[in-house]
Amino acid sequence: MAQAWQGKLEKLDNFRWKIPPSYKPGMKVPGLIYANESLLPGILNDKALEQVANVSFLPGIIQYSLAMPDIHWGYGFSIGGVAATDPDIGGVISPGGVGYDINCGVRLVKSNLILDDVKPRLEHLVNSLFNNIPSGVGSSGDIKASAKEEEEIFLKGAGWAIKKGYGVKEDLEFTEDKGSIEGADPSIISERAYERGKNQSGTLGSGNHFLEIQVIDEIYDEKKADAFGLFKGQVTMMIHSGSRGLGYQICDDYVKSMASCLGKYSINVPDRQLACAPVNSPEGKAYLASMKCAANYAWVNRQCLMHLARNVFEKVFNKSWSSLGLKLVYDVAHNIAKMEKHRVGGKEKILCVHRKGATRAFPLGHPDIPDAYREAGQPVIVPGDMGTVSYVLAGAIGSMEETFGSTCHGAGRCLSRSNAIKVCAGRNIDRELFNKSGIIVRAKTRSTLAEEAPEAYKDVSEVVDVVHGAGLSTKVARMRPLGVIKG
Amino acid sequence: MKPFEFIDHTADAGIKAWGATLTELFENAAIGMFAVIAGEEYKAQGSKIEKKIEISKNTDNLEEILVSWLSELLYIFNREKIYFNNFKISSLNNSGIKAEASGVNIDLYQSNLYTEIKAVTFHNLKIEETADGFNCTIIFDV
Repeated sequence: MAQAWQGKLEKLDNFRWKIPPSYKPGMKVPGLIYANESLLPGILNDKALEQVANVSFLPGIIQYSLAMPDIHWGYGFSIGGVAATDPDIGGVISPGGVGYDINCGVRLVKSNLILDDVKPRLEHLVNSLFNNIPSGVGSSGDIKASAKEEEEIFLKGAGWAIKKGYGVKEDLEFTEDKGSIEGADPSIISERAYERGKNQSGTLGSGNHFLEIQVIDEIYDEKKADAFGLFKGQVTMMIHSGSRGLGYQICDDYVKSMASCLGKYSINVPDRQLACAPVNSPEGKAYLASMKCAANYAWVNRQCLMHLARNVFEKVFNKSWSSLGLKLVYDVAHNIAKMEKHRVGGKEKILCVHRKGATRAFPLGHPDIPDAYREAGQPVIVPGDMGTVSYVLAGAIGSMEETFGSTCHGAGRCLSRSNAIKVCAGRNIDRELFNKSGIIVRAKTRSTLAEEAPEAYKDVSEVVDVVHGAGLSTKVARMRPLGVIKG
Repeated sequence: MKPFEFIDHTADAGIKAWGATLTELFENAAIGMFAVIAGEEYKAQGSKIEKKIEISKNTDNLEEILVSWLSELLYIFNREKIYFNNFKISSLNNSGIKAEASGVNIDLYQSNLYTEIKAVTFHNLKIEETADGFNCTIIFDV
């Protein structure tokens, strides 16, 4: 089969590849793809590069349409896409550049437990987590909020959860944006969005969302690991979830309504899924204020999930979570648009940075990272597939120079879900993982296991090596999975 | 003519649907979407529930109507857990659709092949007319 990408791709160095704007009339800036020789064939065989070119049509886009090494075919934007637009020159915001699962993200929780403490109780722990954390499609949870409280969730984010006793103030300090972006407007959220978000706080969801118990098996940077409170042999927990039905509906509402903006503002984009509006237009502002509601909701969700998990640890180990040292290392968003300060051509500008399957990676000294990490850089949490490893990185200077403070977000898929199911037909993925690596997996459906099988993903270590090599973020620690629960 | 087939998409799910008429294309696209949700082999059982669906849009674009139609079915599915398997469209044009859909209540985990569709996307969506009728490719965010 001929590879999907037939266009020009210029190799700039071992980690950077450029799509020249001459590839397609209408491209406003070049595409810049972070990859190495071994990831490249997979990328060329996917339809993602066409999407990188399409994104460069967005009015007001600055410098490049960027793609991280975990890039793969999405809709509108590719997954792993980053684009910054300048509102002062008509820059747009596109709901498709954030995605349906607004503020899908990951948090990492550390502990003072080591492998030997957890091993004898691992199965009990994983089963208890599976039984106590609502997961699966459309799942609803025990954490209920009244209509008035829903509004507070949208406005205040994770702060609401702390007020309710689902965590401590310190958790907010270690959450991107302290778990809440200012400027959310609950009054413009559609009734359907409200309805779909109801009762889903503290629920994991399905698909690639998970909660994983891990052990750190490698430290790459002792000093930064120390700053993050991480050490070899330590047990950690990772939580991956987003804004559930609320975010899906908000994105859906605006992708539909922004179609009319294309004509109104004379915007030419090659894919209807890239519908957008100027950041400063009424439609752009409305989307941003709605998106912030979902972003805040997602932080509440991950905070509640961590709270439920802490409760399970308390029961299984018969100790309080604080004496088990279950502290939040950091929480990152990887589907979001943010108004951020960046330097463009020597001048400071406020840009609208879209990260669709990409993580913020602010370097040391940046004012938006917690004081405790100021000398190390912002922790970047990169989950791999459930059979290999995950990483903690630290934001590096290169990200501010090249990628508007962004880096990769995960392994990135290489097999479609249906292909993964075909490849795994007749196999027992959970038993394979247990027999091969001792990993205990619990999932609601067998299809989730097949879709999420290790073979369906790129090698996360290759992805991380590229962002490390390119200077976007540096490797700090590697974790391997012990137990996983999936929706 | 096949009603629909699954297509490969790296991150998400997609179908290609066909129809001798536009009405048939819209019906087959809905059947295809529920096959993505519950698997092609899924046989729904239970008492029949009927819903009337009426969408009117100030648009001149059939793709918009198609996405609105599928989104509406998905919304009802999410809200009321109705697995729809029968569709009768009584009117369809550039400004709207009127239809009856019927199905049964399902337990989301009866089917081991359950997939959550977050949304129906517009990604590269184009309804094409050929000598045999109409076809389109639809990508769902899953």
